[in-house]
Amino acid sequence: MEHVSVGWLLNIGVSMALSIAILALVSLGLAVMFGMMGIINLAHGEFLMCGAYVTLSLTRIDVPLWLAIPLAGLAVGVLGYGVERLLIRFLYGRLADSMLATWGLSLIMAQLTVLAFGPSTQGIPTPLGSLSIDGYSFSRYAFVIIVCAMLLMALVYLMFTRTSYGVMARAAVQNPAMAAAVGINPRKLNALNFAFGAALAGWAGALLAPMVGVMPSMGEAYIARAFMTVVVGGPGIITGTASASLLLGGIENVVSYLSTPFFGQGALLIVAIIAVRLLPTGISGRWQRQL
Amino acid sequence: MHTHASFFRRPYSSMTPMLSHVTLRLTPIRATLVLAILLIVGSLWMSDFLQSQASNWIIFGLLGVSLVFVWGKAGIFSFGQGAFFGIGGYVYGIASINLVAVTNETVSAVVLATLGAAVAAGLLGYFIFYGKVGDVYVGVVTLASTLVLFTFMSSTASPVYHVGDALLGGYNGMAGIPPLTVGWPGGSPVALTIWQTLAILVALAALVLCVLYALLARPFGYIVSAIRDNEQRTQLLGYDIRLRKLVVFMIGGAIAGLAGALYAAWSMFISPTVFGLQQAALVVIWVLVGGRASIAGAFFGVVFVEGLSTLLGSGGGNATPIVLGVVLILVVLLLPQGTVPALQSWLRPRTASSTPVEAPAAEPGGAVDPRMPPGLSAGSSANGSLRVDGLLKRFGGLTAVHDVSISFAERGVHCLIGPNGAGKSTFFNLLAGRFSPTSGQILFAGRDMTRAEPHTRARAGMGIKLQIASIFPGHSVHENVWLSAYAKLHSRAAAEARATEIIDWLGLGPQRHVLAGELSHGQKQWLEIGMVCATEPGIVLLDEPTAGMTRTETARTAALISSLGRYANVIVVEHDMAFVRQLNVPVTVFHQGSVFASGRLEELQQDERVLNIYLGRHGGQRA
Repeated sequence: MEHVSVGWLLNIGVSMALSIAILALVSLGLAVMFGMMGIINLAHGEFLMCGAYVTLSLTRIDVPLWLAIPLAGLAVGVLGYGVERLLIRFLYGRLADSMLATWGLSLIMAQLTVLAFGPSTQGIPTPLGSLSIDGYSFSRYAFVIIVCAMLLMALVYLMFTRTSYGVMARAAVQNPAMAAAVGINPRKLNALNFAFGAALAGWAGALLAPMVGVMPSMGEAYIARAFMTVVVGGPGIITGTASASLLLGGIENVVSYLSTPFFGQGALLIVAIIAVRLLPTGISGRWQRQL
Repeated sequence: MHTHASFFRRPYSSMTPMLSHVTLRLTPIRATLVLAILLIVGSLWMSDFLQSQASNWIIFGLLGVSLVFVWGKAGIFSFGQGAFFGIGGYVYGIASINLVAVTNETVSAVVLATLGAAVAAGLLGYFIFYGKVGDVYVGVVTLASTLVLFTFMSSTASPVYHVGDALLGGYNGMAGIPPLTVGWPGGSPVALTIWQTLAILVALAALVLCVLYALLARPFGYIVSAIRDNEQRTQLLGYDIRLRKLVVFMIGGAIAGLAGALYAAWSMFISPTVFGLQQAALVVIWVLVGGRASIAGAFFGVVFVEGLSTLLGSGGGNATPIVLGVVLILVVLLLPQGTVPALQSWLRPRTASSTPVEAPAAEPGGAVDPRMPPGLSAGSSANGSLRVDGLLKRFGGLTAVHDVSISFAERGVHCLIGPNGAGKSTFFNLLAGRFSPTSGQILFAGRDMTRAEPHTRARAGMGIKLQIASIFPGHSVHENVWLSAYAKLHSRAAAEARATEIIDWLGLGPQRHVLAGELSHGQKQWLEIGMVCATEPGIVLLDEPTAGMTRTETARTAALISSLGRYANVIVVEHDMAFVRQLNVPVTVFHQGSVFASGRLEELQQDERVLNIYLGRHGGQRA
């Protein structure tokens, strides 16, 4: 093992924070859909992939990356709105069916992307370069990802506590009948919830695009971990996602660092299953809070 | 489970296996054997290509069957069948590569693979079912485990990852897997020909199907279908549902593992794509197309979907996943029961479901059979004494039940009353095991039941009737009571006799073969009381048994409870003063989470304090 120095510690710290931030990013949209609507969206990975491809296409026509990333999230949000209107709204209360239908959707989206962009991996150059501390080199963009993950969590919090949409959405989750009785239209809220979750997935894909290869099957690489995070985190959107990302991302990173990513993946699965045994409703399931 | 019950409800016509008619009908087992023989003989005239194709479809069909058993039959929403398939394939690969040189056969590798997958299913299932993971999460956990295995196996490309002579091969997969081979140590290995392989596969598939059909026709099968219909009630009858779900999950895992081993032997290759999302999706599509509760339908689904993709693959090329996705969405939206059951109900004239149900004749109160409840006899009933010491339950800052100590004698009816929010329902739920107390002790017949599982309480003799009738809506009245009696008697014949007696005692004889879900509100409540009695309880806990009943139904319920009280300890949580007066039994008043007063209703009605807190404020004019 290398000798302990400031750079070494910083290197481990940044790498762990990055793992946790990525896990939180890719899980947040899924957590919003699950926590707010009880929908398990198996096309989540494909929404993420769409965000990456929109970013890729926009940068190809010389749109600056810093504009392309926010636009990608909005575009995927619009797509999500359409999907909810055309498909998801028929499937509320039919959990198994909603999983299967979104699964079908994911197959279609992935293959349409193959037909449109080809199966090969394409890349967006990672911006900002790197900086060197104490002999270790750090990608500046990693810090952007970490900060953006926190900003998106803050956005979710503000969205659900400070906007009338969020307050109504939480009311509709807590007591749908009463919410309808005081004049809240649950259909409209569901469409907005789904669009918001899709936009979060789009932003996650857009932010990851300059860091990883953009390809039609890229969603699959994240979806398993995103599901594990949501299961372990439980119904609290922000508290659940943050705590489960910390636990799973931290452990995967430490084990991968000490051995190989192979055992890191294994450790993530084992910890997640043990967590499910001990806390069947997730880490946030015991707290009487929604966010 | 309640949300799923309606999806998986079986039609009435297939609901009578318990009434054994010994006739030479075409049973599923006979049909399977006949079809298997026809297929084996018929395949002699098939081309090699078609024989090989058929082998593949049989293997996939077995994988589909594993999902039908777990999901359609037991209601466990598993997406992990692909994982057990893959585990079976990899175990076969590792075992056969290492063993074939020594033993000259690969049959032992098939057995090892099946066991390996069953063990994997057992481990995952233990965490899921003993952790009481909700239905929503079971699907997600099994799917996520499958996908993590995909990433896991994909990262084993380095030659460092090997087991004996078998290289795991990472994303490229494991090559050089021996085909099905028979022989013995020291002899010469004989690899099976294409036709022999197909014949063995058909025979194995037929064997699996026959075992499953036989299993489902046994009490185990009825209990599994009861779990699917109403998990909570199954548990309250004293069945350990965690164990049964685990067994079902392991059997499903073993079948998937067997299919995986056969697949690895057939293609002589296995790669992490078996753990991929598309493979996992395919299994569900086959089963959905064939009908999620139809074992034979799984094979139809495979042939239909795989045939379609082969056709498209040769013509449409890249469009295959799109067509699959569209098929999946259309099936979910338009034919949620699957194509085979949809066709069946389309072709079959609708007679079974439209049998006129006789109007629930609300008989006058005196119509209750004055005999004792069947199975419960005066002198020999189980010890029903219940003692509660310092029971306390807090929800956050609210103390719902505050230091309650009370004991109930061995026999007789006792009423718990109190205004809304007095804590009597929380107290009931603590006794029933739905909540765990913050502190205190519950002793039943001398045994500590404070934190016992619901099925342990039921087996010890605590019969629980919930406020909203908890019955098996998709089973007939007779089957409902049979399932209850079997939980105690463990004998099919004895349970049949007991069920018949109890239904007569309840006065539900004319409704014996009606689906319980079609009964009137009052009849459902009586049925549930009968189901509780069938387990020969020492104590019966009833939560507001007359809520929503008409006056005559209430009177009848009072008569049932009074006759029950002569043979067992009965505790009734009630709201309705008229009903409590009808029962004419000792009453305990709850107030602010504690026992406030005890005595007979007439005495309590004279008590100023009771009138102030309860009768004066709530329903005084009724009392």
